[in-house]
Order: sequence, then structure tokens, then C-alpha cells
Amino acid sequence: MRGNVLLETKDLRKDFGGNQVLKGISTQICQGEVVAIIGPSGCGKSTFLRSLNLLETPTGGSVIFEGKEITAPGTDVNKIRQKIGMVFQQFNLFANLSIQENITLAPVKLGLMGKADADKRAMELLERVGLPDKAQAYPAMLSGGQKQRIAIARALAMNPDVMLFDEPTSALDPEMVGEVLELMKELAKDGMTMVVVTHEMGFAREVASRVVFINEGVICEENEPKAFFSNPKNQRLKDFLSKVL
Amino acid sequence: MQNFINEFTLNFIDDSRYRYIIEGFVNTMIISLFAVLVGIAIGFLVAIIRSSHDKTGYMKVGNFICRIYLTVMRGTPTMIQLLIIYYVIFASVNIPKIFVAVVAFGLNSGAYVAEIVRSGIMSVDEGQFEAGRSLGLNYRQTMQFIIMPQAFKNVLPALGNEFIVLLKETSISGYIGLTDLTHGGDIIRGITFSAFMPLIAVALIYLLLVTGLSWCVNKLERRLRVNER
Repeated sequence: MRGNVLLETKDLRKDFGGNQVLKGISTQICQGEVVAIIGPSGCGKSTFLRSLNLLETPTGGSVIFEGKEITAPGTDVNKIRQKIGMVFQQFNLFANLSIQENITLAPVKLGLMGKADADKRAMELLERVGLPDKAQAYPAMLSGGQKQRIAIARALAMNPDVMLFDEPTSALDPEMVGEVLELMKELAKDGMTMVVVTHEMGFAREVASRVVFINEGVICEENEPKAFFSNPKNQRLKDFLSKVL
Repeated sequence: MQNFINEFTLNFIDDSRYRYIIEGFVNTMIISLFAVLVGIAIGFLVAIIRSSHDKTGYMKVGNFICRIYLTVMRGTPTMIQLLIIYYVIFASVNIPKIFVAVVAFGLNSGAYVAEIVRSGIMSVDEGQFEAGRSLGLNYRQTMQFIIMPQAFKNVLPALGNEFIVLLKETSISGYIGLTDLTHGGDIIRGITFSAFMPLIAVALIYLLLVTGLSWCVNKLERRLRVNER
């Protein structure tokens, strides 16, 4: 099941003006893996995720994507980001564009696809996320769950090699969480490599191939989900799990 | 009633005095239109330089120049700027007054437009920017396709207001001997020694222009808001 190493961090550090958020995180993410990252709020899990596509610039250590150190100076970050999809907590659909344009903007403007092909692909993706009738709608007309499914479709339109999810269900009404998780489950089943920062322990347990617990800027424990949840070793993780489970 | 007709004839019909109003109206329109265009061009440029500096830290020199420009333009009266540009900067060159007025009002308006547009850029949620960059769009593409369209929509009411202010502010053009609408009306007053008719006529024309302008801005605003329900 485990493929080649796709994404790797070595001693990744991030300071925000003297405030150490990441204190040296080293891990490997392999092709086809679904890694769930959990931890208390403010522990640095979002910062870690955002460092993987350099939305946050690390202050130390390195990120290696497909064998290339992308934190090295002179890297074409835009080129790298085309291969790393990202889904945000607040969806961040482009408010000025229709749903179809949201999905086709990047592929067309980056010269990866013609307009006609991109439109066709957008329709396929909308079918896949179950919202084919929303192509001409605007983001403001959609529910939170619909927005997040569109955001996933938008990321998929770039044919990414890995997808990062930053608390994708945290801003959703409870009854909409299911539809988004269901879609993410399907993606995982299709073999997409995913890194998911989440508070959905059910999702982590059921879908993830590995669960990582980050606390105070370091990885405290990581394991395959069954052992992770049934037999946690780290005391801080035990406390955390006793509160959230 | 007879009195009104007499006054009207005296001020506008005799010696074809209405021509002062026509000439002034045309000049006011020319100055306002081109000054708005100059103001928009400068304003967007300055706003983009300033907000790019804030976001990326690049263009330190550009940002510094822009800040000096903004301080000077917003810190001194428009009339003084007009007089300086005419009597000092263009003193030794023979240049049409109307061109001087366009430069002066355009430069002045650009400063206000710049800060309006910058506030619009900053009002767009940071997440929009991050989403664009996360897809591999570069800074310029993200600004062009995602941030600026939303910023423009957000600031349209403020921009419309700025254009109304600009249109009315051109009424000081008389100070460099240019016959704009206000000056045209004032010339008639000087000839006929009758204040009511020419001044009220001028005021009504301004009112009409401003009303028309607000109507256009409102219409544009509503059209851009289609995608917000």
C-alpha cells in the first residue's frame, strides 16, 4: 500500500516574532497515504500544514516535495503549488467568480488547459462532488457544505499529487459535516495522498492510514489509527483523547 | 413673471451671453472627464504599489515616493496646487490652461483614489489571496483575477463620491483664468450686475451633472452586485 515518499519535512521550524510555533518537525508522507493531524488548538498543526505548500515560510529546516527541496532559494514556488492542492477551513471560494470559473480559473490562466477542456473538466468534477447544477451559481448562493465540496473540486482541477486539508469541516454546520467527509473518504479510496488537519476523530480513525499528534510544536506521537486511539502512550495525548473522545 | 423674463433675456439672450455658460460647461466636462481618467490611472498605480509593499515588503522606494505624493496632495489645498502648477511649474512654458487644469485636478484626485482603492484591496479577505496562491497563481495573477475585481466592487460607492467631489472642485478653475462653468456664470454676473440668474443657472447645471453621475454609479454598483445573493 505504501508508495514512494512524496513529501518530507526535516527539522521544520517556524517562529512568529520570537514565538516558536514549530520546534523541529520531521516526518515523511508517502504516496497514497492519508495522514490525519490532530492536536490542541494553537499547537502548530495548521502552521505545519501551511508550511508544506509554503503559505507560511519556515524559519528553519526544509520541506522536500517529490525529491526536490522546495524551501531552497530559487525554487519556483508557484510551479510546486500547482501540484499541491489545498482546502481551507473558510472555503475561500473566489467571491467574484461563478462556480465554474472558480474551478477553471487556475488551469486556464496557468496555460494547463484550454477554456473548452477546462469547462468540460469542471463539469466532470461538479458531477463527482454531486453539484452539477451549481456551475453557474456564485459562492454566496451556496451552503457551507456545498462551498467546501466546490473548494475540493477546485483543488482537484489542478490534478494535484497531494492534497492538504486545513480543518475542512470546522466551519460547517453539524449536518453538513457528513457530506464533506464522505467526499474526502471517496478521494482517499481513489488513492489520493492527503494530509488532513482535523478535529473529526471518527474520520481520523476510519479513513486515515496514520494519525499524527502535534503538541507545542513537536510531533508527540504517531501511529496507525487503531493503535493510536486504543493504546496511546504519550501522557499529553492520553489527556487530549480523554477530552475529545 | 415679466420681471423673470426680462432678467432671463438680459443674462442669457442679449449678446448671446448663454455662450459663456456653454463654453464653461464644455470646459468643466473636459477637465472633469480627463482628470478622472488621470486620477484613476495614478490612483490604481499608487494603490497597487502601496499594497504590494505592505504584502510583500518589496518596492520600498516606490512606496516611499507614493507616500510623499499622498502627503503633499492631501495636505495642501487643491487651489494652491492648481496655482502652483500654473504659475510655478508651467510658468515658463506656453501650455493650454485646460491642460494645466487636467494635470492639477488629476494629480489631486489620484491621491484620494489611491487611498480608496488601497482600502478596497485591504478589505478583501486574506483567504481569497491565499486560495489563489495555493493553486499556483502568481502574485500578479491573483491580484488581477481575484483581488482587484472584488476590491473595485467594494470601493465603487467611495469612488463615485470622489468623482462628485472632483467635478465640483473644478469650479476653482477660474483662478487661473480658465472659463469653466462657474467662471462662465461669473462673467455674465460681471457684465449684467445681476447675480441671481447666472448663479442659480450654474448651480442647477452642477446639480444635474452630479445627479446624473450618481445615477450611473448606482447602476454600475447594482450590476456588479448580481453575484451576491
